[in-house]
Amino acid sequence: MTSRQAGRRMRKFTSHTSKNGPRPNSTQKTIRPRKKNESLQPGELRRLMQLVICGSLFVVLVAVKLLLPAKMEKFNDELSAALRKNMDIQEVFSAVGRAFGGQTNGTIEDVYQAVFHPKQEEETGKDNKEDGAVKTPEPIKMQEHAALDVLHSYRRAAETAGTKDEASEPTEAGAATPSEPEETAVPTDASTLAYIQYSEENLPDTVSMEQAILGFAYETPLTGVLTSNFGYREHPIEGEERFHYGVDLAAETGTEIDCFADGSVTAVGESSSYGRYCIVSHESGYSTLYAHCSRVTVSSGTQVARGEKIAEVGSTGMSTGPHLHFELHKDGLYLNPIYYVSVS
Amino acid sequence: MAAWFALANGFEPLAIVLGAATIHELGHYLILLLFGAKISGLRLSALGAVLETDSTRLSYGKELTAVLAGPGANLLCALGLTAFGSGRWTVFAGANFILCAFNLLPIRSLDGGRALYLVASWFAGPPAGEAAVRWTGAIFSLGLTAFLGYVMWRSGGSLWLFPAAAAACGAALSGITGRNV
Repeated sequence: MTSRQAGRRMRKFTSHTSKNGPRPNSTQKTIRPRKKNESLQPGELRRLMQLVICGSLFVVLVAVKLLLPAKMEKFNDELSAALRKNMDIQEVFSAVGRAFGGQTNGTIEDVYQAVFHPKQEEETGKDNKEDGAVKTPEPIKMQEHAALDVLHSYRRAAETAGTKDEASEPTEAGAATPSEPEETAVPTDASTLAYIQYSEENLPDTVSMEQAILGFAYETPLTGVLTSNFGYREHPIEGEERFHYGVDLAAETGTEIDCFADGSVTAVGESSSYGRYCIVSHESGYSTLYAHCSRVTVSSGTQVARGEKIAEVGSTGMSTGPHLHFELHKDGLYLNPIYYVSVS
Repeated sequence: MAAWFALANGFEPLAIVLGAATIHELGHYLILLLFGAKISGLRLSALGAVLETDSTRLSYGKELTAVLAGPGANLLCALGLTAFGSGRWTVFAGANFILCAFNLLPIRSLDGGRALYLVASWFAGPPAGEAAVRWTGAIFSLGLTAFLGYVMWRSGGSLWLFPAAAAACGAALSGITGRNV
């Protein structure tokens, strides 16, 4: 009200002065605000607008936080996930440096891998960056606690019950050194247990515990000792509870890794978490990933047949001993590979 | 910015980037020193550091040399490391090469833009230089903005690129509107 009045008065005065020209003495007092007003126009008005916009944004955000705390929490999680998620800048530099030095072999893929962490890096439970589980970060983040609670209570119950076989499965996956697993690990038991453990509520959105009917011939990449199952586990190196998006099959370094099914090699690469790895695409949107290899014997783009040797077991990347980290994907969804591999 | 970068990527990449940036600025500095130009200060912006200098007395050729000395120093460093590092310095060589390539983008606030301005002005007069850098800069800034935005979108993060993307966007807008944004 007062500002409007003042504005009116000033406007009036403006017209008045324009008609009669500036008057000395008596009008001097009232002229001053007009000058002030004029100097407000160019720069300060803009700043005032900025202040108003910032203020309104603040008020709106506070209101949203108070009125919709869940939404805000979700947004916060998304934002912090985005903040944590970064390209592997050193790897980018390194790949460019190698390319510069004339090693053009695979460097484009390396740069691409380092910048975008394409699918495969998102899916790893071994990934040292928090982005392991973040294709859709928000539900995972929110569900993780619930999932962990379920797991913890399950473990406590299992421990107190003292049923050795049942208890060994989940705790084995959570053990800090998974190199010496129980010989008695039977895949069907493990998978059934995993299936029981994880309900729809506590699974990351990108994961399915269902056993899919593949619709094509397949075979186990190798027969090894199951050292880490698909599901939540305590990370053997980082110590945190994370989702493990594949199965770990321990075998001697150099053991042949055979292709799971017919398909084409879509990626061969090396990353800090996976070490040397390759991805093979199969029919119907399925693909498989083989990580921590000592070497990959196929190159990107080649057609491979089921049972054909594609790599050798190693302990490259984030690994505590020679094993194959095997993942099975369908259209970006992680399936539990335990149903399709044989363990010794 | 540096703190954010360090937070997002760790101190090692920060040291690498700062090292490459130092070599870049040293390249400029040495040439300017050689030509006897005064350097009044170093200004940091979202797209990197800018040496403030009194280059008005430098000829087109000399200023162009000074402008290209920064990327040149990076390129030399990358070449040197590749030739004599026997594969050990690929990260630093890559950082130098990327910095060199990035700075050669013909965007006004970057060395490439300045070089374009100088070359065009040299041969066709300052208005032509101004027009060339304005429109080429706008197109490349738009491209850079889109590229950085794409990287952030596809990688679902790397938000430390945001200030650079915003600066590139600002450069594009100022090129298009012809005003400083």
